Amino acid sequence: MASFSWLLKGRCYRLGHEVPHAGGVIPDRLITSREFDPQKLIPHLFEETDPGFHTRAKPADIIVAGRKFGMGPKMNGYIAMQAMGLGLVCESMPYLAYRAAIGCGVRVLTDCAGATDLCATGDELEVDFETGRFINRTRGSTAQFPPMPAALREIVALGGNIGWLRQWWEKRQAMAESGEERR
Amino acid sequence: MGMTAVEKVLARTAGMQAVSPGDVVYPDPDFIMIHDGLVRGAKRELDSLGINRLAAPDKVVMVTDHEVIYGSARAAEFGVINRNAAKAWGVKQFFDVGRGGHGHIFPMESGMLLPGMFYFDNDRHSTNAGAIGAFGFRVGAEISRVLATGTNWVSVPRSLRITLKGKLKPHVYARDIGFYIARLIGNGSLDFDMDYRVVEFAGDIEQFGLSERTALCNSPTELGAYGVFFSPSQAILAFAAERAQRPFTPVYPDADAVYEKEATLALGDIEPQVALPGSIRRSVDISEAIGQRIDHAFLGACGSGMYEDLAAAARFIAGRQVAPGVRFFVAPGTERTLKRMAADGLLNVFIEAGAIMLPPGCGPCNDAVAGPLHEGEVSISTASNSNAGRFGSKQAKLFLGSPATVAASAVAGAITDPRTTGVN
Repeated sequence: MASFSWLLKGRCYRLGHEVPHAGGVIPDRLITSREFDPQKLIPHLFEETDPGFHTRAKPADIIVAGRKFGMGPKMNGYIAMQAMGLGLVCESMPYLAYRAAIGCGVRVLTDCAGATDLCATGDELEVDFETGRFINRTRGSTAQFPPMPAALREIVALGGNIGWLRQWWEKRQAMAESGEERR
Repeated sequence: MGMTAVEKVLARTAGMQAVSPGDVVYPDPDFIMIHDGLVRGAKRELDSLGINRLAAPDKVVMVTDHEVIYGSARAAEFGVINRNAAKAWGVKQFFDVGRGGHGHIFPMESGMLLPGMFYFDNDRHSTNAGAIGAFGFRVGAEISRVLATGTNWVSVPRSLRITLKGKLKPHVYARDIGFYIARLIGNGSLDFDMDYRVVEFAGDIEQFGLSERTALCNSPTELGAYGVFFSPSQAILAFAAERAQRPFTPVYPDADAVYEKEATLALGDIEPQVALPGSIRRSVDISEAIGQRIDHAFLGACGSGMYEDLAAAARFIAGRQVAPGVRFFVAPGTERTLKRMAADGLLNVFIEAGAIMLPPGCGPCNDAVAGPLHEGEVSISTASNSNAGRFGSKQAKLFLGSPATVAASAVAGAITDPRTTGVN
């Protein structure tokens, strides 16, 4: 995790309001077939709204979405976003969508009122998920949004729930072993 | 600044003086519940990480309520996996087939879930806990972290308050109130966003017993609510005290607790409701649905599976027959309720009428593992929602109503207003 950064500098992909997870983020068939392999999901990310997205998007690019992004408590699209190293800034997310994104290890700022008015697809953005600082280099504008809570950054920094749980167990085992040595 | 009851529950279990909406806390739960559909996934996940012991096996409650009778090879396999997991994890509170019933009902009836408590659950209908004045928090598949570590992060939710005024008209029931609220939100006349909110019911709630409170916990859940709360009445406290498995301290909201929004509802304005296929937001006065022919009826599930719900429905069945061409499934919520029905004759009322009794649990209201529908068929039920595909075919039409409406309709073979049946 040495290369993990809370500051992303990349290109903006702007989406509208109420983008559903099924269809809007990733095709429904990959959700119903329970496809969780990032390499199989990546070619289909935003496929139905922006064909070829995965060929243009680069690590550190940032999705900026409107209200109620990612409706539906599904993980598949976030798995792809995490694997591609994309960040997410949105005006609001239904709670279950937000929890799923965090659990998959996506850097995400939510409750960013008016975010879609501050950028257009193609703009060069800098977003610090630790502080909530949002800079549009193309427009020369800045904004301040609510940062990611520290407790959730702990999960995202480890790649999501599984990574967090793995580290928790390893630390616990190491503590138990060193405790036994002392005895 | 004052706290709501749920905020107080979270503050106590997180070891804090006070909490506010948006705070991220790690509550130490009174217990942890996982149902039969999730055990395999959680076991696999923990096994893959080498996690071979749970933080607090004595707090873990395993429940078999989703696939009670194994209708498939997969269900039989899950049964074996679940029993093996209980052994491997050292879980003693394992309410397997025939041992408890619906996990969102029997803990209240048995004194396991008590006023003021907090617990983690994989399932969203943990909102039922509000009926007895407790808070259950749904974590979905993240239940594995709770099992391993004993807790998980909880962002303190904001609260909404709905004040109920007056009394319901005859043959209007608590489920009708829930459908009515969903309808007001659906048509925009109640500007509430329930996503991740706690909905607190206040006002003239003393008149509502546990089954009615439980019914009222159901619809907000379908609208995104993460919790529902009723301040426990003296009757609820007496009920809990009679069966409590341990001491408990009820919680109540402070007078200056903060609610994001408030609304008042006149109960006397509400007619029996029917939720049209697709969403409970599409609920209408029953007059708009009367006469719709049905093939299937179902009574039970987490919102309408208590003894009082079945007794209310039985009044419309007694001495009558289920209509030809209709299959009517009845799933008592719990083993306790089933035994009570057997002892006092209520069970016979359903059997004599030609109803098909299902074992305590979720009934068809879980991806139709029992009693599914074919495309084009029509059902009316007390299921938690009318989403396409809930009972099998996505081309089936699912209507919802109160237990009385469902029973009256099963007898008539078409959606029927319980007020027109001659039953007082």
